[in-house]
Amino acid sequence: MKKDLLALAAVVLILVFVFSGTKIQSVDEYYLTHIDDIREDSETVFLTIRCDTVFDRWDDLDPALKEEKYIPADGMILSRTEYVLRAGDTVYDILDRAVRYNKIQMECIYSANYASVYVQGIHHLYEFDCGELSGWMYMVNGVFPNYGCSKYNLSDGDEIVWCYTCDLGRDVGCEWQVGS
Amino acid sequence: MRYFDRLHPISAFCYFLMMLLVAMLTMHPVIVTVCYLSSVTFLGMLIGGRKLLSSLAYSVPLVLMLAVTNPMFVHRGETILFFLNDNPVTREAIVYGVFASMMLMSVFYLCRCYSEIMTADKFIYLFGRAIPKLSLVLSMILAFLPKMKRKFREIDEAQRALGIYATESYVDRIRSRMRVLSILLTNSFETSVETADSMRARGYGLRGRTSYAIYRFTPSDAMYLLFTLAAGGALFALILSGGADFSYYPALTPLTWSPRDAALTLLLVTLAGSSVFMEVKETVLWHYLRSGI
Amino acid sequence: MALLEIRNLNFTYSGKEEPALKDISLSVESGDFVLLCGESGCGKTTLLKLLKPELRPAGRCEGEILFLDTPTDKLDARTSVTEIGYVMQNPENQTVTDKVWHELAFGLESLGESTPVIRRKVAEICGFFGIGDWYHKKTSELSGGQKQLLALASVMVMNPRVLILDEPTAQLDPIAAASFLASLRKINEELGITVIIAEHRLEEVFPMANRVLLMDRAKVCLYDTPRRVGALLSGGTVPHKLAVGMPAAVRLFAALGESGESPLTVREGKQYIATHFYDTEKRCELPEKPAEEREVAIGIAGGYFRYERETPDVLSGLDLEIYKNEILCILGANGAGKTTLLRVLSGVRRLYKGKYRLWGKKIKEYNTNTLYRGNIACLPQNPQNLFVKNTVYDDLLEVTKLFGIPKGEREEKIGRLADRLGITPLFGAHPYDLSGGEQQKAALLKLLLMDPKILLLDEPTKGLDPASKVTFAAILADLKKEGKTIVLVTHDVEFAAEYADRCAMFFDGQIVSVADRVDFFSENRYYTTAAARMTRPMFENAVTVEMAVKLCLENGRRP
Repeated sequence: MKKDLLALAAVVLILVFVFSGTKIQSVDEYYLTHIDDIREDSETVFLTIRCDTVFDRWDDLDPALKEEKYIPADGMILSRTEYVLRAGDTVYDILDRAVRYNKIQMECIYSANYASVYVQGIHHLYEFDCGELSGWMYMVNGVFPNYGCSKYNLSDGDEIVWCYTCDLGRDVGCEWQVGS
Repeated sequence: MRYFDRLHPISAFCYFLMMLLVAMLTMHPVIVTVCYLSSVTFLGMLIGGRKLLSSLAYSVPLVLMLAVTNPMFVHRGETILFFLNDNPVTREAIVYGVFASMMLMSVFYLCRCYSEIMTADKFIYLFGRAIPKLSLVLSMILAFLPKMKRKFREIDEAQRALGIYATESYVDRIRSRMRVLSILLTNSFETSVETADSMRARGYGLRGRTSYAIYRFTPSDAMYLLFTLAAGGALFALILSGGADFSYYPALTPLTWSPRDAALTLLLVTLAGSSVFMEVKETVLWHYLRSGI
Repeated sequence: MALLEIRNLNFTYSGKEEPALKDISLSVESGDFVLLCGESGCGKTTLLKLLKPELRPAGRCEGEILFLDTPTDKLDARTSVTEIGYVMQNPENQTVTDKVWHELAFGLESLGESTPVIRRKVAEICGFFGIGDWYHKKTSELSGGQKQLLALASVMVMNPRVLILDEPTAQLDPIAAASFLASLRKINEELGITVIIAEHRLEEVFPMANRVLLMDRAKVCLYDTPRRVGALLSGGTVPHKLAVGMPAAVRLFAALGESGESPLTVREGKQYIATHFYDTEKRCELPEKPAEEREVAIGIAGGYFRYERETPDVLSGLDLEIYKNEILCILGANGAGKTTLLRVLSGVRRLYKGKYRLWGKKIKEYNTNTLYRGNIACLPQNPQNLFVKNTVYDDLLEVTKLFGIPKGEREEKIGRLADRLGITPLFGAHPYDLSGGEQQKAALLKLLLMDPKILLLDEPTKGLDPASKVTFAAILADLKKEGKTIVLVTHDVEFAAEYADRCAMFFDGQIVSVADRVDFFSENRYYTTAAARMTRPMFENAVTVEMAVKLCLENGRRP
């Protein structure tokens, strides 16, 4: 009996631990209704989210996504917008704030292998949704960094583009991918 | 006597094959629901309501649990209900969880029905000619299992009366099970030597082994076989041509009622329901015949 | 031409020094019914296996075994499979497939027969053995007796000329054993098929045989007709330990020192006593038992038990008192619930109604420790179920750890008990390699390590040869002397009549009668020993052969 009670206590402890770490928010609480105003002295960056590559590979695209609702006609999920850069912001932080403010769906996971956040899908468009080599990549000032988006620290005036590739980066001009 | 017990193994096997393929081929909610309901009813007809209930007592919570766990790990879907640790919990993911687990359960129930009906001797009859060695081994394993089960109980009781581990504690119970299992293992190794002797004494290993079967292929078996093949074939044609395409993410495909959908549903209901229908018919017929005696 | 001819056969297992068979020569004629008996380990099984080429053990073999003038090792494989049938001891282990019909067809499948041929032969065999009712059943659903009959039928379906059986009834209850032997007699008498059978239980099979083969220590010590065995036994050419298992009539005949042809059955024994002896003195003098208050070890009053709510009661209104320091035998038919009774006595199962007091205290007041460490120990029907390790010694050592015996005392305690039970030489052996009697002793030792006050034994004599039974009884008597209380649940009336203090009849969930062994068996008319049946109505309380002999000698011979 004693051992059973101990085992039971251990289970309760684990459950308490799990639940104490859980945060539940309603939809309204989650999305930002307000974003930092751009003032004279604030440092800023520019963000674009685009998926125009899928038009070249339309046949490969998941049929459930072949709608204006998911793929805008111009391929622009978020057209070039200016955002305030807070001290220590990474590419991921800007993306997170932008999608929350614009109520754009986004899903990412933390990958322990790369010690960084990996973006799986934006605006219901996920990796592998348009062929086996498709997924989201980011570019800062025209260059594709070869590491995770939560490790890239930004500086004033940086130009971020999140683009959806259907061919491991070759169709969006990623040099290190083209080379390999 | 159950109808499927009398059915020729080929016909029965064909039914299960078709149903399993259909159940595993698509996640269309209508198909999944029909498969689930028919397999549960069929199992109920085979093993009786009481046993079915005890089986459902395990499976319903499992369905619910999967329905809850899927949205914890999958955040796709456009109808967001709330956020859990910054991750959206969506209606689509919940619906997907429910149907995925229903599909899993219907496959599970079909397998239960299969094992009720397709006893080892039927299996051997079907595959004995193609793979004689393997099929015999399988049959022996299946004959061995009840023996092991009984032996397990026997050893368990002997050990309990020895006063070892007879406490109420679960931890001790698990350790006691391990002990019993290790005895069981030695024991079954020992007995299998004798079984091998008994086989050799009766000529196992001679050239040109045949396999005997008590089954006869009757016209009604042929009819049922043809029916399952035809219905199954038509269903596959419809499913593979996209008739059962359905996507859960980002939004649920709306259900329509086109002639193709209607044909598909009808075919599926006849195929899946044929087993239940036959069993019901058998029972009714038997009661009728008995009242005539 | 003899059907089977054995000439100067010597056999030694590979890796062993001592030969398992020494200089065996004998011949078996077609249609013979040969009964092979002897202690376990005397070479019976080895001899039988050598007769069946498929089962021939590995080892060095000298001499010849001829089957219809062909050496068995030169027999065509198909011939030896069909012509020589072999049935083993354990019904459970020799079933191969999961359905009765498939088991019957197995041999014919191996021979490559076509479906119509198999169908016809199987149908015939089912008719002969009355298997039709359970033809479609799963083999796992059959009773032990049915399984053994199935094993016999599935050999007979191949139409053998000689049938070899190695202790086929050892695992069966008396009723099932009798019906199995009746089938065997039918095979021998109606089909004229030669039967060679090794058996320990001889009462029924002895009269069926026309040849008896007695073996002792790897040698043949007697090969003759059953009627002549009695005289040979009294002549002293046969060791006494082999005599103990003989039918009552033969033992009586031998003990009276007669010569000539002995009676074999109860009927013949009765006629023999009636015609040869006076019956003026009807009762055997028994030592007076001092009337004394006896301490009750286990007392059950109005006990009810059932396994599930929906199932019927297995125990219903059971009243039983077990006294301290006695040997109590609980007898009853198969399936009466004797094993259940034992489970309740051992505390593994609890009564749902009624009182169970152990040493005057309610059973509920005991816990696992106080109940099983030092109070009650239970020997299961199959002692193999207790063995865990690879050698007897390791196994015993392991259990001392579990019982919490202090480290320093373990080896000493095992050694002391092992010397007493005489199993020290077996320490290095694998528990499964021991004979039935040796396994029984090793298992008993395991229980004794806990110093139980009460020993519960479930069918301890099942499958034991007569000599092992005698040693086992001696151990029980020794334990009783030490103050232990021993309860046996058994079918074995002969054993109970010989060694119990009291016997109880269990029927319909109750103890219907309980009495001192002599009173118990002399009052029973049907459920009693062969000696009691044989001596009635001439004598009134001769329940064992010894008592019958004593009375015969006291009364004196008729002129």
